[in-house]
Amino acid sequence: MKYFLFSALCFLAGCASYYKGLTSEALIPCADEIKPTNLNTTWYTASIDVIGKHLSGLLVVKKMPDASYRLVFTNEAGATFFDFKFQPDGSFQVVSVITQLDKKPVIETLRKDFELMLGLPFNQPLRSWQHNSLKYAGIERGGEKIYFIVNPDCTSHGNLEIGSNRKRKVSVSLSGKEPAQPDSILITHYTFDMTIRLTKFDKDVDE
Amino acid sequence: MEKVIVSFCVIGLLFLQPSYPGYKPVQDVDDFRKKFTVVAAAVKDIKADFTQKKTLVALTETITSKGTLWFKQTDKVRMDYTTPFVYKMIINGDNMLVKDAQKETRMSARSNKLLQQVNRIMIDCMQGSLLESKDFSNRVFENESYYLLELTPTSKNLQQFFSTIVITVEKKDNSPHIIELNESGGDKTIISLSNKKVNMALPDEVFSF
Repeated sequence: MKYFLFSALCFLAGCASYYKGLTSEALIPCADEIKPTNLNTTWYTASIDVIGKHLSGLLVVKKMPDASYRLVFTNEAGATFFDFKFQPDGSFQVVSVITQLDKKPVIETLRKDFELMLGLPFNQPLRSWQHNSLKYAGIERGGEKIYFIVNPDCTSHGNLEIGSNRKRKVSVSLSGKEPAQPDSILITHYTFDMTIRLTKFDKDVDE
Repeated sequence: MEKVIVSFCVIGLLFLQPSYPGYKPVQDVDDFRKKFTVVAAAVKDIKADFTQKKTLVALTETITSKGTLWFKQTDKVRMDYTTPFVYKMIINGDNMLVKDAQKETRMSARSNKLLQQVNRIMIDCMQGSLLESKDFSNRVFENESYYLLELTPTSKNLQQFFSTIVITVEKKDNSPHIIELNESGGDKTIISLSNKKVNMALPDEVFSF
């Protein structure tokens, strides 16, 4: 019986909405000023962990002259795994991808992760929500909220996140002094076991 | 008229096959392959510094990385990248270790066919045995100092990574000098070896993990 009660409590806790108490509110005045900056061209070492599998490589985030972004992931020895193109209006193109990664769920997951990381959804008109003591600003799209956390002093933002109506699905944590070229980026998934760690490096550094 | 156009296109394509300035084709490739297999086998081990230059053409981005490379007959390769990032890769027979900033991962090539093929390419590039591989068609060129082996993958699995692999081999000791991995989109990776030491009796411990 004790076990049953414990299980039931765990089940109910698991079903509890992460966004319980979330309310819409008027647009936070600072939201447009502090929204995530679109990233500049940067090279990162990349470490991807998916359900017990580990993959490392180099990710270059390239801001192109036409304001589009190219994200190219190679292994350290030079083989290219994928090349994605993001337009400022949100359209997306797979320039190339190896067969092993050419699966719709994989590409869709990476597309949403990197689009959030680049801050592209926040180029659209924003709206705001209040959740417990936190304030969010972002957009709603396809049944998901894509938002950034507005820090209490309204001068900066915290994590960028994607959530469904009940669950937080992904968060992107950016750290470093230059918002357009973060030193490190951590992308964490909450609905399955996947993390992407990016660490900036200076490709022109020599011994 | 259509036939004439097609003929011109075919002739044009023949002329478009890449040639290599300063090199002339080796006419009897079969004879070369037999002789080269024997002389290349005399390279028992190599230790060298390497400079790897990866060019992403559409992005106008180039990254140059450096490190040390070890090779030992018949199936051991180690590459330690030291700048601008730290990364270690050891291939020892069917087993592989990669160590990046986050994690050390051990893999068995037997459980991963693609990994097995990529491993084999690294080793075959070092010992010149890609000429024997059924996964590649080949052309061979030479000048006074170097042989140039142009290898074209025949399997789709490898074609997604490389359009051609071009290996420049030093005639003086039959060891690789430059390995060029060309991708179909125009991107390429060039690995140049320097400070090369050949047949210095490298211990197996260099490749153990």
